[in-house]
Amino acid sequence: MMKRYKNLLLFSGILSPLIVGSSLLCRVDLMALVRGIPRATELIIRMFPPAWGTFPDLVRPALETVQIAFVGTAIGAFVSFLIGLMAAHNIHSRRLLRQTTRTLLSAERALPDLIVVLFFVAIVGLGPFPGVMALALGSIGMLGKLFADSIEEVDPKPLESMAAIGATKVQMIRYALLPQVIPALIAHTLYRFEVNIRMSVFLGVVGAGGIGYNLVTALRLLKYQEAMAVIITILILVTLCEKLSEISRKAIIGNELLK
Amino acid sequence: MGLKGGSQAMLAIRNISKKLPDGRLLFKDISFEVKKGEFIGVLGESGVGKTVLLRCINGLTKPDVGEVVLNGDGEPQRINGKKGKELRAIRRKIGMIFQGSILVKRLSVLENVLLGKLGWISTARSVFYGFTDEEVSEALQSLNRVGIQSLAHRRAETLSGGEMQRVAIARTIFQKPHLLLADEPVSNLDPKNTEIVLDFLKPLTQDMAIIGVFHSPNLVAQYCTRAIGMKNGAIVYDGSPHLSEEDLRAIYGGGNFYSS
Repeated sequence: MMKRYKNLLLFSGILSPLIVGSSLLCRVDLMALVRGIPRATELIIRMFPPAWGTFPDLVRPALETVQIAFVGTAIGAFVSFLIGLMAAHNIHSRRLLRQTTRTLLSAERALPDLIVVLFFVAIVGLGPFPGVMALALGSIGMLGKLFADSIEEVDPKPLESMAAIGATKVQMIRYALLPQVIPALIAHTLYRFEVNIRMSVFLGVVGAGGIGYNLVTALRLLKYQEAMAVIITILILVTLCEKLSEISRKAIIGNELLK
Repeated sequence: MGLKGGSQAMLAIRNISKKLPDGRLLFKDISFEVKKGEFIGVLGESGVGKTVLLRCINGLTKPDVGEVVLNGDGEPQRINGKKGKELRAIRRKIGMIFQGSILVKRLSVLENVLLGKLGWISTARSVFYGFTDEEVSEALQSLNRVGIQSLAHRRAETLSGGEMQRVAIARTIFQKPHLLLADEPVSNLDPKNTEIVLDFLKPLTQDMAIIGVFHSPNLVAQYCTRAIGMKNGAIVYDGSPHLSEEDLRAIYGGGNFYSS
């Protein structure tokens, strides 16, 4: 009988005071939102019509945003495969190396991507390069773990049967492991590419290259119509990249993962 | 019978013992020799250590004591204790087939056969160049010998269980080992495919010795040239593949084994 009330008690006794208390401390004020409506309307009106004339100038930064995401994802995926091998228990039996790798991976995931970007901007300066590095490192935390898990899920028999007839480790990875994991690796990498495109838009805001910089500049100079043009460009860009990723996923791996 | 003299042993297993990770003794002081042309069927209850014994022969599992010596090229080579390059150099002379499939399902049948020679090919060549035309045509001949050359370009995952084991045999033919270890090669096949697979396996003894683990004394009697029975960590039978009811009782305990 008590068990039934446990959830209710948990909610009314602990969770709701926490939510209410935190809201007060954060000065959550719904009325402020209502009072802001006229200002919001004014802002949106000032954004229209978008400055269509600036589109030609946005092509280059937009391309740069895609390139940063592309290169960052590619570097990240390549390093992640090597790290995935280090973190997988069916590839080698050095437990310390495996645990250290897994710990470093979760440490990287705990690090907010924004901090990683600021770190690289601080050490290599402004421009697209720190953006590439930040996306690569940010990708490794997630892809390294996903790759390692995929590698550990493969059918062990082909690998062992190759060890049994004298194949080297590299040969086993090339011929028994890679064919088994490649669909999963591609699927994870494409997903991360979609995440990285959005991250890459944001990178410009902190000065690490790409179209985000144009958005910040337009807003700072109070050129709202230009800002709107940038926002539309970003929407088109992100949608296109996601479509592209979806199409390549289907073309390369098809329905294989559903089997 | 020693390693010297006219009737040389292809493989000598001397006094090997193996403990399980929990410290329990799996088997102790196992010794036997194998000659070229022999087809040995290993029988015994589940858990008696048949598979581990097989794995001790090519070093996938390391015996605690004892030695395993392969004498394929007329020069005896001790397998246990070897590492890295030396171990691989011996392993490429020993084939292995498992229960279920050893094939890489997403590679073609032909590619799976070609993998049989990886032990002979340098890492750099196998990764950057691949296989030569001669190797490919030899692999196709191997497939022809088990009657499935027509499946060469199919993906391995599309084959039936019986066809997969035939590809594994083709891979062994292509590998040209001195010894083949077959761990329950037919245990998940229907009777018809069991017969087909064993009919292709048996002629391999012209060039090599085969040690197989089987669950059916009938199959051992039908295909093997010699049977080895294990019970309580020791060899309790070593002789003719036609075991008497009494021999089988010594291996399995009570029951009637030739029925069904």
